[in-house]
Amino acid sequence: MTARPDRDGAEQLGLLGTAWEEAAQHWQDEVARRFDADHWTPLAQRSRAYLEALGTMMDVLQTAERDTEF
Amino acid sequence: MTGSGGTNRVHADIDALKGFHEALVRFRYAQRGVAERGGDQIEMTRASLAAKASRWQSRLEQCQAELDACRAGGGEEAADCSAYARAVEQTGERLEHIRRWQQRVDIEASEFGGTASAYLDLLDSDLPRAESQLLAIITSLEAARRVPAAET
Repeated sequence: MTARPDRDGAEQLGLLGTAWEEAAQHWQDEVARRFDADHWTPLAQRSRAYLEALGTMMDVLQTAERDTEF
Repeated sequence: MTGSGGTNRVHADIDALKGFHEALVRFRYAQRGVAERGGDQIEMTRASLAAKASRWQSRLEQCQAELDACRAGGGEEAADCSAYARAVEQTGERLEHIRRWQQRVDIEASEFGGTASAYLDLLDSDLPRAESQLLAIITSLEAARRVPAAET
């Protein structure tokens, strides 16, 4: 297995989080709070959950390959 | 938008929102790629396990044929076929081991498929909506800032 997609995905989420923090420093009105609650927080949470599930799946695949090499 | 202390500050906040918008678009494409690669890895491992199962199935059949030949080829004295019998047993165990892994990968992939599908829906519909909303906010901010500038 080459570079793991779950790790690349986590790196991308980190970059997006940094961009959000930068924007949030300048954007603190009611519209920003609604955008945070309606879009950013659900996106970040669901992305983390997906990447965790993907990581578990990749672990299973790696173990399956390793455990069936006779 | 907080504060309005000068031109640089005004541009800084809009630029930050534009930066976040661009990051969102990049993220959507990157995560689609991540999801695609995840699916590819699952299919590659399935294919690899299927090839291994096929290889060990052939080996099992060969070992079984050798055992049968040994048992059939004995003259008056019964031949010692224990080595052939052990090979059949060991090969069969390995084949079963691979098949158990095939089943486990199928089960895990099926469970993961639900999560992956929901996430792809988010990437394909929710995220573009968020991008559009953000773009509209940026556009309205730019328009609002241009009005006083044009009046002076």
